[in-house]
Amino acid sequence: MDKEKTILIVDDMEINRIILAEIFKDNYNILQACNGDRAIEMLNGAYDISAVLLDLVMPGTDGLGVLRDMKKSGKIVAIPVFLITAEEDEKTLMEGYHLGAVDIIRKPFMSHFLKHRVNNIIELYGHRNDLAKVVEEQIARLNHLNQSMIEILATAVEFRDCESGEHVKRISGMTKALMTEVSNRYPEYYMTADEVDKISKSSVLHDVGKISIPDRILTKPGRLTPEEYEIMKLHTVKGYDFLMQFPDIIDESTYKYSCDICRYHHERWDGKGYPDGLKGDEIPIWAQVVSIADVYDALTAERVYKKPFSHEKALEMIKNGECGTFNPKLLEAFESLTNNWKNNN
Amino acid sequence: MKLFDDLKALGVNVNDGVNRLGGNENLYKRLLGTFAKTIKSYDIQPDFDEENYSEITEKAHAIKGIAGNLSITPIYEGYTQIVSLLRSSEPMHAKEVLKRILPIQNGIIECIEKNLN
Ligand SMILES: [Fe+2]
Ligand SMILES: [Fe+2]
Repeated sequence: MDKEKTILIVDDMEINRIILAEIFKDNYNILQACNGDRAIEMLNGAYDISAVLLDLVMPGTDGLGVLRDMKKSGKIVAIPVFLITAEEDEKTLMEGYHLGAVDIIRKPFMSHFLKHRVNNIIELYGHRNDLAKVVEEQIARLNHLNQSMIEILATAVEFRDCESGEHVKRISGMTKALMTEVSNRYPEYYMTADEVDKISKSSVLHDVGKISIPDRILTKPGRLTPEEYEIMKLHTVKGYDFLMQFPDIIDESTYKYSCDICRYHHERWDGKGYPDGLKGDEIPIWAQVVSIADVYDALTAERVYKKPFSHEKALEMIKNGECGTFNPKLLEAFESLTNNWKNNN
Repeated sequence: MKLFDDLKALGVNVNDGVNRLGGNENLYKRLLGTFAKTIKSYDIQPDFDEENYSEITEKAHAIKGIAGNLSITPIYEGYTQIVSLLRSSEPMHAKEVLKRILPIQNGIIECIEKNLN
């Protein structure tokens, strides 16, 4: 057996610790704690602990206290805990089991049985933890693959527009940063980091509706006529309709923001945007965030028909309302965020 | 070994105790020394006079555990009784048991100390 695994022995009586250490020292690295608090410290420290042999009766934080802490931190799921006991009443033992203890070690110790039982369970937990890790990795790979497919689709659409895939990636990055800033600054817009991540991933689809815009309009070198512009504006609704055909994608929580973002990323704070003329916070905050990111990126990127504007110029244009009106709180967050970027570069 | 023979005569199950340690006699001897020291600092007689029963239960429980693990059978059995009597709220009976086993306990401690020094 490899001696890479570590057992933590927790008992207030030195004799008990030494005996257990003697029983397991050939097969495991041994850590010892003489009270519950020390045990908790070690469990939350840098040690990679494979099992805990835990005395129930100890002065200060007792065995149940250690179990409660492990339950709270979630460690109880991955680390088997054996309760060391001489005769504790049934109620205490049941509570121990409820808190997640795996087995009971009776005093006086029966060395040979004890060795086998602890070895078996450590092995079992090892397999289980490995399996959980594999599943986790697979899920991460699948999610990554999903995101790649979504990005491929979005980039294919941008390609017709003579854009590189970089636009989509920049929007996603900026959306994440701005949404995080807004969420930190304004409690009414608070979102967890997980949700912010989903919004950022959803944002790559904002212009997917452009797939339905004819080439002669989408790639027209000159100015659009009013009729053409009306057709161009339809990319919001078309994108929304398009995504609504794939409930598997939008119901799945990662992309649940995509429909809103498609439909509303050209709405404006004063109600003068399109397609629905929503006003203020009728526009979901995630769509507001993508609008600003989209406008800023369009201004600062180089296009066939224009040179890139500087950060200062783009910011000024956005603040002046040259690209429509935005939520003042959002503008504030955006300005401080982009200034920070500039100062750090 | 004289210590082990003496302890066996006093009812200590030396073979069990040594086996528990995978046959490590030296470690067993060392732990007997630790046991003698520990049990002195866990003297529960004064607590009985002060009727501090939760304190006694905790100490008696601890002694029971280490005595059992070293197979010091007479002490283990005595303290097992004491703990269970205390848990069922019979401190007077527990005190009687303590009185009965103290001479045996002292004999074992003496024997350990004499042989280790
Ligand atoms: Fe204890
Ligand atoms: Fe758009």
